Amino acid sequence: MSIKQSLSYRNLIQEKTRFILSVGGITLAVMLILLLNGLMKGLYEQFGAYLRNTPGTVVVSQAGINNFIGSTSTLSSDTVETIQEIDGVSQVIPVLSQFIILDLHDKKQPAYLIGYDSSIGGGPWRISAGREAQSGNEVVFDRTLANRHQIQVNDTLNIMGEQFKVVGLSDGTASWMTSYVFMPKASMETLFGLKGDTSFVLVTADTGVTQQKLMERLNTTLAGVHASAEDEVIANDLNLFARFFSAPLQLMVGIAFLIGTLIVGLIIYTATTERQKEYGVLKAVGSKNNLLYRTVAIQSLIVASLGSLAGVGLTFEVARLITTIRPQFLILIEPTSIFGAVVAGMAMASLGAFFSIWAVTRLSPAEVFRK
Amino acid sequence: MTDFSLRVEGISKRYGSGDTEVTAVSNISLTVSQGEIVLIMGPSGSGKTTLLLLLGALLKPTQGRISLDGLDLSSLAEKALPDIRLHQLGFVFQDFKLLSALSVLDNVAIVAELAGVNSKVARRKAASLLTELGLAERLNFLPEKLSGGEKQRVAIARALINEPRIILADEPTANLDSKIGLQIMRLLRRIAKEQGRSLIIVSHDQRIKDIADRVLWLEDGRFKDMVTMVTDPVCGMALEHEKATSAVWEGQAYYFCSEGCKHEFLANPVHFQTHQAALSLPSATHQEYPLG
Repeated sequence: MSIKQSLSYRNLIQEKTRFILSVGGITLAVMLILLLNGLMKGLYEQFGAYLRNTPGTVVVSQAGINNFIGSTSTLSSDTVETIQEIDGVSQVIPVLSQFIILDLHDKKQPAYLIGYDSSIGGGPWRISAGREAQSGNEVVFDRTLANRHQIQVNDTLNIMGEQFKVVGLSDGTASWMTSYVFMPKASMETLFGLKGDTSFVLVTADTGVTQQKLMERLNTTLAGVHASAEDEVIANDLNLFARFFSAPLQLMVGIAFLIGTLIVGLIIYTATTERQKEYGVLKAVGSKNNLLYRTVAIQSLIVASLGSLAGVGLTFEVARLITTIRPQFLILIEPTSIFGAVVAGMAMASLGAFFSIWAVTRLSPAEVFRK
Repeated sequence: MTDFSLRVEGISKRYGSGDTEVTAVSNISLTVSQGEIVLIMGPSGSGKTTLLLLLGALLKPTQGRISLDGLDLSSLAEKALPDIRLHQLGFVFQDFKLLSALSVLDNVAIVAELAGVNSKVARRKAASLLTELGLAERLNFLPEKLSGGEKQRVAIARALINEPRIILADEPTANLDSKIGLQIMRLLRRIAKEQGRSLIIVSHDQRIKDIADRVLWLEDGRFKDMVTMVTDPVCGMALEHEKATSAVWEGQAYYFCSEGCKHEFLANPVHFQTHQAALSLPSATHQEYPLG
């Protein structure tokens, strides 16, 4: 490697503290972007977790209801029977759902209660301990929520004045806002005085029947109900709830990017201006601007690459730590997010390099003679 | 003179315009021959550095012409000047200005690389040059590990690596003690004379006049003639040597502004010697000053 080519990294490693600070700046910025983004993705995932993991591609609700979470829908038992009769319907899962506030060890804990029939489906999709709630006053608790309140299988809990036995713990049903709690549908009907009623019906189409076709049939056959595609309902839930969180989270991602850019830009710009005299010497002795541009750009690239890589690595570690301490948080780090964060890291460094190159362009070689 | 290296014809450099216009260099002409050593002296703000920048193709004159072996530097496009500086000119700076991240060897070799020399060849050439300058043991040192004299020798090697016709040195002894400063100047003189390179030095340092072929005094952007100034031990007046009246006492020449001062001195020379010591006035001070 020629001396010209090695000048960038020699400049970098000569000032070890500055080098570590530069890489650390990008590492932290990339990590912050990835974590906040992962938290947002996790939040979205948690909102749609129940519908995604429960059979059924069409959600039937009371007319005018477009959401699953946070909406009260009431369908009669006749409606469920009618749905089962419709041509092209393969499977029907009726569920009751309701937001409740649990009183767990003197702490108010919001939860989303699902009443289901274990012989049909609609209950927890992954049991980590115990079994499903089959009959009577049995509940399956989200494992994360149970752990937070030291609830174990066979414990008895008071839910709205009734005693329920915890028969199982479920996985993948946590949310930092509301976790899922499952109980037999019949028990929930009794608890809420909704004998025979259903909140939603999750419908699976027969082979060869499209989701669209099934929705059309349901909407034309049944009066007073609304059949929607599962994805549409999830999107509506996200729109309803995530808008409260995604805007500040996106703002935080934006701020992380801005701060990261400023840190990196400032570090690289300062590193360049501190070497301004040396670049001036090179210009004075006859170096062309290209060499100096390349030197500054390679320095930025090295810092950005190392910072981005370290940032991605650190994100996984920090995410693991967060989810260990606070399992209700789901942090989803997807390849597209990693790519985006690395691009962001490179963009930060490019901006820093841009201002540094601008400084070098303006540098007069005559300045080197000024005392 | 046919073998001249550098010719400066009536150059001026003005900064600003209108009421704020400042003339740093005014109508200067100068010819520097091959192998000649020219020392430019003058007070601070006299235009020395501006003149050096003009001679080093780092600034363009507002008017006048600078030519190097017939090539008019002042008419060249800005982008052509780095090549001229790289191949024809060598720079030695007051505070050495070595690249702190590069070793001694690489500080010199990089300038050869800039001129298109292959990296290996550049390093070999630099090593040879540094060895000649007594730095064989310091090739892989970083500049921070060197003494001032060693740093300036590296800077000289850097200035020489592309075999320039002219070396421009800006206060080359300013950051060196007198002994090392003198060594550096002798080294520069030897290089200039042995290798036929012209050397233009800008300095305040009176001690380096001895190595120069020519000393020029720059003041208010113009060259002024040099005269020898002396001090009258009786009245303390500064006088031009040629215009003063003199007397010799105990083998030492004394200069006076008038016959009156001379007679007063000769009537009691010991008194004026004592008095002079008390005033810290040098006896028969010989300093060169510009002719006002």
